Parts: sequence; C-alpha cells; structure tokens
Amino acid sequence: MATSEWEIGQCWIDVTDVLSAGVGRVLLYGPPGTGKTYAALKLGLARGISERLVCTEDLTSGEITGTWMPTGAGKWEWREGPAIRSWKNNSGRGGRLVVDEVDRASGDALSTLLAMTDSQESARWRNPETGQWVKPGPDFSVVMTTNAEDLEDIPLALRDRFPVAIRIDRPHPHAVATLSDDLKGPALHGSLGAADRRVSLRSFYAFDQLRAKLGAARAARLLFGETTGQAILDALSMGALD
Amino acid sequence: MKGSVFPELVHGRLDGFEQGAWILEPGSVFRGGARCNLGERVLTVPHGDDPVSRVVRAHELAHIRVSPFLREHTPPDADVTDRALECAEEFRINLILARLGFDVALLCDGSERPGGQRLAQAGAWGEIVCFLLAVLGTGAESEFLRGVRSVQPTWVAGLRSLKKKVNAMVGDLDTRTLGDTTLDDEGRPVGYTNVTVPIARLISRSGAAAAPEGPDELRVFRRSLELDSRRAPSGVFAPVLFDESMPYVVRAPSPGHRRARPSTSGSVMRFPSRLLTDPLQRAFARKSAGAGGVIVIDQSGSMDVTVEELENLLSSAPDALIVGYSHRPGDAGVTPNAWILAKSGRVALQARSGNIGNGVDGPVLQWALRQPRHGGPVIWVTDGQVTDSHDHPCHTLSLECAVLVQRHRIRMVRNLSEVAEALRGRKVAKGVFGRVGRELAAIQSFVPDTG
Repeated sequence: MATSEWEIGQCWIDVTDVLSAGVGRVLLYGPPGTGKTYAALKLGLARGISERLVCTEDLTSGEITGTWMPTGAGKWEWREGPAIRSWKNNSGRGGRLVVDEVDRASGDALSTLLAMTDSQESARWRNPETGQWVKPGPDFSVVMTTNAEDLEDIPLALRDRFPVAIRIDRPHPHAVATLSDDLKGPALHGSLGAADRRVSLRSFYAFDQLRAKLGAARAARLLFGETTGQAILDALSMGALD
Repeated sequence: MKGSVFPELVHGRLDGFEQGAWILEPGSVFRGGARCNLGERVLTVPHGDDPVSRVVRAHELAHIRVSPFLREHTPPDADVTDRALECAEEFRINLILARLGFDVALLCDGSERPGGQRLAQAGAWGEIVCFLLAVLGTGAESEFLRGVRSVQPTWVAGLRSLKKKVNAMVGDLDTRTLGDTTLDDEGRPVGYTNVTVPIARLISRSGAAAAPEGPDELRVFRRSLELDSRRAPSGVFAPVLFDESMPYVVRAPSPGHRRARPSTSGSVMRFPSRLLTDPLQRAFARKSAGAGGVIVIDQSGSMDVTVEELENLLSSAPDALIVGYSHRPGDAGVTPNAWILAKSGRVALQARSGNIGNGVDGPVLQWALRQPRHGGPVIWVTDGQVTDSHDHPCHTLSLECAVLVQRHRIRMVRNLSEVAEALRGRKVAKGVFGRVGRELAAIQSFVPDTG
C-alpha cells in the first residue's frame, strides 16, 4: 500500500486532537462502517472504560438512567443505567459515554439523553432509591455517533450540546491492521463513494475471512451479490495487478 | 448504476495519487463514450451489466490504477506527440487488462472498419499508426486493419511490422512492470516512462514518416523501427515553430546611414523645410535602397551565426529582417526551428545554434516572402540542400523550394560573406549549387525566365 494510504485522514486527526484537548462533547457522523463507534470507545480515553448506548426507536429513559429490578422476596433494587454509571466511573471522576445511532432515539429517550449529556454545571439526577442528587464527574465525556450524512438531519438541541461535530468519511488506519495487505487500501476508502457503492469495513473483514476458505469469487458473490460482487472483484484486481 | 463500478476500491498506486470519492457519470460502450478524469476524479462509464460494459469499465479502472495524474509526470518530449502518447497509453491499458484476464476482444464498437477506410482515404497515415496502437490486441484491431486495407492495401505490411515491433517491446514485461507507478529518480512513473513513452516515441516517428508503399520503402521503414536507427523519410517539411525566447537589444543606427532620403515626390511630406532651402524642393522621403530585405539563413549542420557576423550584415542592410532556421529531425513540435536574428532595429543578443537538420526550408522561405522587405530582396543563405522533417533529402521538397526561388526571385548565396553583394543586386552564386540549384536549372531549362 502506498505511504499516503497509510496516512491518517484529517477526520481522525481532528477527533484525536479534540478529545485530547479535553472537549467533552463530540458528535461523530458519516457513512457506516468507518469505525466511529470503535474510535468513540477508545480514542482519548486515558483510563477507565466506556459505557455504550445504542439508540433505537424503542429505547426508554430507563435504559439510559436506570431501572428498578426485582431481587426476589418482593424486593426491588435500583440498577443504574450506562449514563449514570459513566458519570460515576473512575472513582467518581467520570468516564466516557458513547451514544450510537443517536438520530434514531425517540422523543422521550432524546430528552433524557439531553439531560444526561448537559454540561457538568447543569446536569444532575436524583437517585430514586437513595434520594441523593448525583452530578457527572469532572472527566465525564460523551461521544455520540450517527450514520447521518448531514448535520441537518440531527436535532438542533442535540447539535447545540455537541458543538464539535466531525464527519468521519474513512476508517482509521489502525482499524484495517488485521486485514490482508491487498484489502487494506480498498477498505480504507471503501466508504468514500456515494451511498450506493460503499463497502463497509465489516464487509471487508467478512470478505477476507470468507475468501480464505471459499475463494474470492464465491466470497464476493455471497457477500455482495452476483453483479456487485463481480464489480468489486474487478476493482480489487486492478490494485493487485496480478 | 448501483454496484456496477467501484473506483474508490482501486488501490496500489505509489506515485502520490490520493484516492477519494469519485463522481460517476453515465457513459456508453461506444468509442469515446467512457473516460476517466484523474485530476477531478470523474469517471464516465457505461452502467450495463453486459460483458462489454464490464470490460469498458475495467479499462477505465485500469487508468485509475496506472495512468499518470500530474502533468509533471509527463514532461514534454520533443520526440513524442500528445496523440502518440494517448494511443500508447491506451495500448498499455489494454495490455494490462488482457493480462488480468479481461476479454479485450469485446472492445470493438463496429466503427473501426469504416474508420480505417476513412483515414486511409484521407491519406492520414500518422493517425492510422496511432489508432492502430490504441486498438492493438483488442477486437477492434483486425476490423480497423481491414478498413485500411480496403483502401490502401500496401500500407498494411508496414502496420504489421509496427505491431510486431511493439509486441516485442512488451513481450517480456510482467504485468506489475507494465503498471508500475513507482516514481523514478526524475520523478516520473516507471511503467509509463518505460513502456508508454518508448512506444509513443516509436509511433511518433513511424507516423511522421511517409507511408511505406513499395518494397524499398518498406525495408527502410522496417529498419527505422529498430532501436537508435535513422527515422524513415517523412517526405514533408515540419511546421515552422519560432523561438520566442530570444533576447534582443536595440541596435544603434550605423553612422552616416540614412534610412530616408529626400525626394521630390511621395505621400507624406517629411522635410517641409526643404521647400524653402532645397533648390529641388525634395520635401518628401523615400527609403534608402538596399537598406532592407529579408535574409534567410540555413543554420543546419554546424553553422552558427555570430553576433559580429550579424553586425556586419546589418551594416550593409540596417532594415533587413534576418531569420535563421534549422529543424531538429523528428521533433514533434516542441523545439523551435526558426528564430529572428534581427528585425526593426533590434538584434539578437546572443548567437543561436542550429538543430542539425534543415526540415523547414520551404515553410521558412514562404514565411519570409510574406514579410515586408523595405525595398530589398529575399536572400537565402544555403548550401542548396533541402531535407524533410526527418532530415532526409527529398526531390519533391527540393523542387518546391526551387519553384519558390524561381518564382519570387529569391537570391541564393552560399555563405554570409556573399550577402552584401547579393543585397546590392550583384550576381554572386555562379552556376548552380546543391539539389535546389539542380532543380532550379531543370526548371529554367523548361521555363525560360522572361524577367
């Protein structure tokens, strides 16, 4: 692969710089399969673990902040959700909350998310079990991801809380490290084209795995279909020149 | 167009090309209906799911993979025409496609046979050579040759020789070498420089040669295909290309030389005071006889014109236009082959060497005849030899120049020292000299000079 192809795209440089600078609210958007979630979970995280929420239309507020769970013998216990856990991670200093597919969240869930992702000064939540008020730790950060192509597709209130929005248009070079050499370059740029001809990083990993056992032609057909599979193989054969 | 072509997935270049999002435009399988703009990343290809569309798409993808994307990767080459480069690159692409297993026999749209006929009818040997390379190895090749043969059957042997030579040039190269985009020490992509450019050089010189028609011409043509061999005759002059970069200085007028002399008649009263002071009332002006003229200097071979020689010429004819010429044999319009040495009181600052060959004798003489002469003659400093653009002597071109000399009373002299005499109208070249002289003598023996 050419040296330039290994270079980290500007979008990833931006993400790294923003998170390293301590900006605690970042929105990553762009085509699927580019490793936004992976980056949100790992990049700029000095310690602790990230909590992850995947938004769907059925996501409830309880799945964000917490729910009462039965413990037997007619007793109930409060189980904190990922948002509150991330507030408290790292011995109360706060961790990372990753909210995937944020554009899919329903109205109720979105309003809860807005409350949970507000600034440290404004955000607070009362534990229904203890009655204590809880605030996010000083290191709490939120990275939201969405496959929306355009920022206009994201609710205004959310955009307002996430002033830094970065379009991720290609995978991070580290994300293709374990692919076969001939697929690394194409995988890095497979998401650059128009929506109808994008090939996600996941597809490349599946193709790499399948072709080792079934051969390239069959793997391409199984993954992409007859016509598209052939077209993808044609493009890949140019890269290999053999 | 969903799923039919994936230009973003074409990788492996090592010349700094940056992949990115491509713009796709609908194209067709017909010649010229598909193209690839690497600079702006626009791909125009047919979107059908038929085998022909697929090969056409693959052809354009191969351009994305191996063709140069920067102008500095393809610096101007005096021996290569742009058209030859374009067609040689097409050949390289089709060859790579064939090596990758694509069915290049499908690359044929039915226009090739009538196209070959039309070109042959127009006598466009140069374009036939180029187009043959563009379709060599594809399904279009045999149809194109059939079309040429139907009009110019004698040309096909030469074309076959060229095809054989080109195939021999690439026969031992593997596909990676053909498409190598590594930059060499001079910053040029290796595959393009080592494959496309040499082939383009070959077809430039072959296309610029006259079409070989008889066995002797074919023999010469075949010899010309060999490495470092002499080009085959072209039978035509090269176009004149003036050197616009020459530095000039304004020349101080010669002491005592008067460009305008008083005259009793004229259109503009230049010296009104003479109406009172001159008994002959010579208030008008006329140009001094012998001050002007056009001096054409054949600088082929090793003939340089020094600044001192120019100064001597201008002292005899200060208003003379002096032009030198010499064509670089086989040059494809990059190297200037004519230069103004003096004009309108300005004179070249430095001497200018020639480019070995003649090549443009006729066009330069015709150019000289169109220039204002300020009452002087056109003088041609020459050894009497005339050659074509490939520096071969040519009877037709010699005759063409002889006709110009005879018709326009161009004065031929052998060297610069004879110019002053010729400017004064004295006959200096006794007898005939060179091929032009012989042709001139032949003309004069048939057409008496009534002047």
